[in-house]
Formats: sequence, C-alpha cells, structure tokens
Amino acid sequence: MNASKKFHISIALLSLLWLVIALISIFTGTYEIGPIDAILNPDELSKTIFLNIRIPRVLMATIAGGTLALSGAALQALFRNPLASPFTLGISGGASLGALIAIRLGLGIGILGFSMISISAFIFSILTMLFVYSVSKVGGVVATGRLLLAGVVANFLYSAVVMFIQFFSNFTESLQTMRWIMGSLDIVGFDTVWKTLIFVIPGCLLLLVSTKDMNLFGLGDDVATSLGVDVKRLERKIYFATSLAAGSVISVTGPIGFVGLIIPHILRMILGVDNRIILPCSFLLGASFLTAADTVSRTVISPVEIPVGIITAALGGIFFLWLLIRTKKEVIV
Amino acid sequence: MERIIECGNIVFSYNGTDVLNGINFSISPGQMVGILGANGAGKSTLLKILSGLLQPNSGETLYRNKELSKLGRKELSKHLAYIPQNPVFAFPFTVTETVLMGRAPYIGRFEFEREGDIEIAGQAMETVGISHLKDRLISQVSAGERQLASLARALVQEPEIMILDEPATFLDVRHRTEIMKILLKLKEERGISIVSATHDIFAALYYFEEIKILKDGVIFAEGSTETVVTEENLSNAYGINVTVKKENGRVFVFPSD
Repeated sequence: MNASKKFHISIALLSLLWLVIALISIFTGTYEIGPIDAILNPDELSKTIFLNIRIPRVLMATIAGGTLALSGAALQALFRNPLASPFTLGISGGASLGALIAIRLGLGIGILGFSMISISAFIFSILTMLFVYSVSKVGGVVATGRLLLAGVVANFLYSAVVMFIQFFSNFTESLQTMRWIMGSLDIVGFDTVWKTLIFVIPGCLLLLVSTKDMNLFGLGDDVATSLGVDVKRLERKIYFATSLAAGSVISVTGPIGFVGLIIPHILRMILGVDNRIILPCSFLLGASFLTAADTVSRTVISPVEIPVGIITAALGGIFFLWLLIRTKKEVIV
Repeated sequence: MERIIECGNIVFSYNGTDVLNGINFSISPGQMVGILGANGAGKSTLLKILSGLLQPNSGETLYRNKELSKLGRKELSKHLAYIPQNPVFAFPFTVTETVLMGRAPYIGRFEFEREGDIEIAGQAMETVGISHLKDRLISQVSAGERQLASLARALVQEPEIMILDEPATFLDVRHRTEIMKILLKLKEERGISIVSATHDIFAALYYFEEIKILKDGVIFAEGSTETVVTEENLSNAYGINVTVKKENGRVFVFPSD
C-alpha cells in the first residue's frame, strides 16, 4: 500500500474510533443520562451536566491526549530516538513545576487572555528541552543513555523543588497540588478548553506541517540538509511547538504520563515509521486513548474519580516494561 | 571548458585550526574525481563545502557560475546529491521508503509520492541491484546494502553530480567493488559527475580518471591517476614509505617498511 492510501485509511478509521469513544464517554458517568432522553427530552440538570462537565471534559481529554501523543511523536523524530516523550525527557516535570510556581505566586490571572500558568509551564518546558537536548547530543547524535539520564535528572530536580514548595504549603494547598500532580482532567466549563486551545492549535499545526522534514531529518543532519531541510530551523520549530502545546496542556491537566510514549509506538508497529502518517494518527489515537482512560477513571469505582494519570502511568509502566523485555537483544547506546 | 562546480581559494577553519588552506577545485560534466589523503587531511570538509553543507571562511564556490550559497537548497538538491561515509537511519523505514526520500525536492510539503516517483525509485533500486530488498526494513539489511540504498536515494534526486564521502570505507571488498562499478556505470551511461573521497587506493587506481591528493588543507598533487599515484606522492600524503609497482599494465601499491 502506498503512503497516501495508508494515510487516508488510517486517518478515517482513527477519526471514527475517536468519535465512537467520545460519544460513549459523553453518555457514561455517575449520573446516568440515556442518549434518547438527552437529545429529545433534556431536563435542566442533564443539560448542565452535558454542557458544563461531560462535553468540556471529553474535549479536554481529546486535546490533552492528542497533544501529548503528537508531541511525543515529534520529540522522537527530533531526538531520533523512540524513547523520547514529554514524560521521559522531564518536560512534563518542568511544565508541572512552572505551573505550580505560577499558581502559588497567585498568577492565576491571564494577560490578554493568555493564562500566566500556561506561559510559565511553557518557559519551564522549553528550558528543560534545551537542557536535555544539549546534554544528550554528543557529536551530532543523541545518545540514548545520556538522553534518559538527563530526563531522570531533570525530573528529580523538579520534584525536589515541588516537594520543597509542598513542605511549606498548608494542608489544603498541599492536597490540591498532590491531586494535580497525579494528572486529572477534572475541569468545569469551556473556559479552560479555549485557553488551552490558544496554545495547542498553533503548536500542533507547526508540528503537522513539518512531518516531511522530520522524515528527512532521520537521515542525519548532512543528508537532510542536502535534501533541502533547514535543520537548525526544524529543530527550533520542534522545541518551540512541543513546549508550547504540551506545556500548556500539562499546566491544566498535570503531568499525564506515557501517552506520548505509548501511542506513537503502537502506531509505528502497525503503520510503519513515516512521520507524515504517524504524527496526525498519534493525535487521533492519543485523543481516543485518553478519552477512554478518563471514562474508565471516573466510572470504575464510581462515584469516586481516580486521577486519570494513575491509569495512564500504570498502563504506560507495563508497556515500557514489555518494550524493554522485547528489545532485550538490542544494544541501547 | 564547461564546469559544474568551481571553487577558488577556499579557506576553512574550525575552532581556530585551519582545515582547508586555499583550495582550488573544479569539476566538469561526466568527470570522475577521486580525493585521497590521510585522516584529518580535510577531505570531508572539502566535500561538504562542495555540497554546500558548510560555508567556507573565505573563497567562493560556484555552481554553474552561480554562487552556491545563494542557490535555494531545494533547487540545488535536484542537481547535486551527497552521500556520507556512514549514513544515519534513525528510524526503520523500508528500503523503498528510504530511497523515495530522495524524491523530496520534487514533492510539495503536503503531498505524498505519486506513481511516477515510486517508479523512479523502483528503477534506481534496480540500477544498484537492491530490488529484492525493497520491502525489507533499512535497519535489517547489511551495511553494504544500506550504502547501496543511499546510492539509490541519491540517484532518484536525478543529479548531474554526486559527491560521496568514502562511501565504501566500512564495506567488504565485494560491496566496495560493487559500489565503484555502479558509480562508473552512472558516469558512463548517464554522464553523472562523481567526486568521491576514498581511502581505497586500489579503487582509486582502477576507477578514477583523475586524482587529487590532499594534505594539511591543500591539494598538493592532482592530475590523471597515472601521473599522481606515485611513490613520492603517496609516501608524502600518508607519511609512510610506499612502493608502487607496475605489472601487466596494472598498478600495485603496498607499504615498503
């Protein structure tokens, strides 16, 4: 099958998958509303639940899951390494700290409609990425060992600062932070959705228009340049766009782990490694996955909601383990 | 005489060390030039400057009488193909997909390859003899086969000049010979100019019509292969004593000590 056909078929199927999951998610929850009642004969309470809770939440899960998976795929292209993701590189940790600092400093108010919390998360994301990239790139090649170590170091440093802030917080603040760090899609109303989209849309678009160059980038700096790619510009574009998109998502949801790692991996196993296909498909599958995980998280021991980050981290951990065992024979440099 | 690439007085230094110290170089259509020289003599740097991948500190490089750095990179890649010594394949694309990447200059940002491109890739794989590998993953073929895939990738760019940086260094003798034969064929049948650095003096002797020897950032010997490959020049270039013997019209080179 040629690339174009593969692209169209997978986009169509994954869009359908997302639609089905989103619909199921909207009609599932502690408060039961049948689809027929909801459309033909909605009462006030149902209306409120739909418009203020369920639909914004499904949208947020879609945006968050899609963005994290898309960013993961883009970072894997940038680092030329399948283990890169916002979580493993410490970008999630950075964004979390950035967001937490902004929250604690009372910078909840936005500037010109941009949330200061998102901006702070973005700054910390991009700094982390620059740090990890410069530390792990040796002689033009990213060494996997250095990459993962740099990510671990960044995560440790950030969690030290987060714990420090925690230590001086009162009980309520501390509990809030704790819940937030676990990763949750617990939002009310569309306001947060719009505020996140302001950052997510340009970030994701910037990545999606660079997929062809990302493929060429995989042939090494010199060959990519010789085929017409402005390598430095592409690198900067990916730094900027992933920090912008993933940073602003994480500033709202907290660090939801492993979506950015698992989703592109699964897709590559099925569809091959062409970034022109993998990136857009990652968005759709990531969106579907997180929406499904969130539906599980709020219904499995209903009425209690488990933070969705716990579910994705557990699934991600198992997946990572499986990956390590499966690739045991390969030498990871 | 018609020139594809012409460069004059190229100086390049890296971290304060002079790598190239006034290089003059030109290549005509259908010419096959080998560049010899010890490790660190500046071969790779020179090839990167000729390919427009590095900018010299001074001196100019002309591509068909136009300043190379002023040509659009994408436009240039339809005429000039570059093959590194040890190509990177970060992700396991199939061999066909890898070869198709050479069509990038002909495909728009939001387009996929057309049937025509796939056909061109198929022909290129046939030319270099890797058609049987077309559906294999690039990560699962041998180093020699990967280098042949690089060659096919360069070929689908439809270049008039190919610049290669020791393309056969890591390969066994069969693949080395294969690559040299393909280059010779491309030169003879399609008139593609070839510039290649090489450590393989035998390949240089048999396949290149012109040799340039680089030492300490300057070309200190150049001309037809017979006149340049001498005991004196090789001993000088590599810093060891070399014996050059002719027997039955073939030239043999070996270290004397």
